[in-house]
Amino acid sequence: MSNLVYLMCSLPSLKFGEVPPITMDEFTNDAKDQLSAKHFKLLEPVDIYQAADSDGKLGLKSIGTMLDELQDDITEIRSAKTQNRAPNLTRLPHAVINANPLEREKLIMQWQWQELDTIQAGEVFTFTEVMVYKLRLQILSRLHSFNQEHGSQVLASVVNPSKEKEE
Amino acid sequence: MAGAKIKYTKTERARQKKILKVSLRMLPLFEAMEKSLMSTINTIAERIEEIRQVIEKNKQAAEPWVAVMSDSHVDIKTFISVNKIITKHIDVAGVRVEQYESVDFNVMPIEDNTPLWVDDAIVLMQEQLQLLAEIECLDEQIRLLEDELLDVRARIKLFENRRIPNAKTAIRKIGQKLQDDERLTIATAKVVKMTQKEEVMV
Repeated sequence: MSNLVYLMCSLPSLKFGEVPPITMDEFTNDAKDQLSAKHFKLLEPVDIYQAADSDGKLGLKSIGTMLDELQDDITEIRSAKTQNRAPNLTRLPHAVINANPLEREKLIMQWQWQELDTIQAGEVFTFTEVMVYKLRLQILSRLHSFNQEHGSQVLASVVNPSKEKEE
Repeated sequence: MAGAKIKYTKTERARQKKILKVSLRMLPLFEAMEKSLMSTINTIAERIEEIRQVIEKNKQAAEPWVAVMSDSHVDIKTFISVNKIITKHIDVAGVRVEQYESVDFNVMPIEDNTPLWVDDAIVLMQEQLQLLAEIECLDEQIRLLEDELLDVRARIKLFENRRIPNAKTAIRKIGQKLQDDERLTIATAKVVKMTQKEEVMV
């Protein structure tokens, strides 16, 4: 418990949309130093991009449920597009339907962030709070990776690789 | 023709007349071919310009969301690549060229947990790659047509500046020489006749 308190007190607070104050590696190192081996092992597979690890274990049921529901809505958006109909979303805000791809990803991440708020509610200095912190740091790191110039370079590298090489 | 010796014979004159006739008949054909090639090249160049505008328009339309392509979670480059540009042989203004048909893509299957933006990026990239492939084919068509145009222009120059004037000159010179020879023969004959008459009178 004291280790959890120490870890959570030492971590900078996270705010949606801001530059991540620490890197994922720094967080992992801090967590490895402060948490027990058992807790650290439980923290390792927690991932915002997959509901379960390779062994099929969930980091936290509520997180797994959130990610599953997100998955269902994404699948529904894809199906609706193929079938040329309006998607019937259960969890994601309807604004994602007409938003451009960048705004849509941001809206989805914002939704995840808010869901993590709910998951974390009432959890102070608990392992859930550490897991939520890791997931939020993943969201911020991904959000921060969105860059106009770099994105244009990626597009150019696929669309016109020879030109890219010449430059 | 410069430096080449003209044979002052009726056969040679007939041959030069044939060359002139054929050249005068061929010249308008080559001129028409030149016009056709130039017009085709211009049409293709206009099409390339149109495609470039579409590419630019697509690029501008993607501008507001292109930042998502730098997503640290996804490497979009692994999702799509060009396998083969499919073309077919056609004749354009008498030149055999490759016409763009389609692009065969290697597209990695999209898994359920793949972010949604990947779908849009693949559609955009496919369209841009198809348009660029079409430009590539059209550029090659222009290159081949320009080669042909150079060849046709060289032929026109050859007809206009050498074959036709040379044939005309040769026909004129042979005509004059043959006429001179004829006059000389007649004059000689007359002289001989007069000499014979004088001898008889003496």
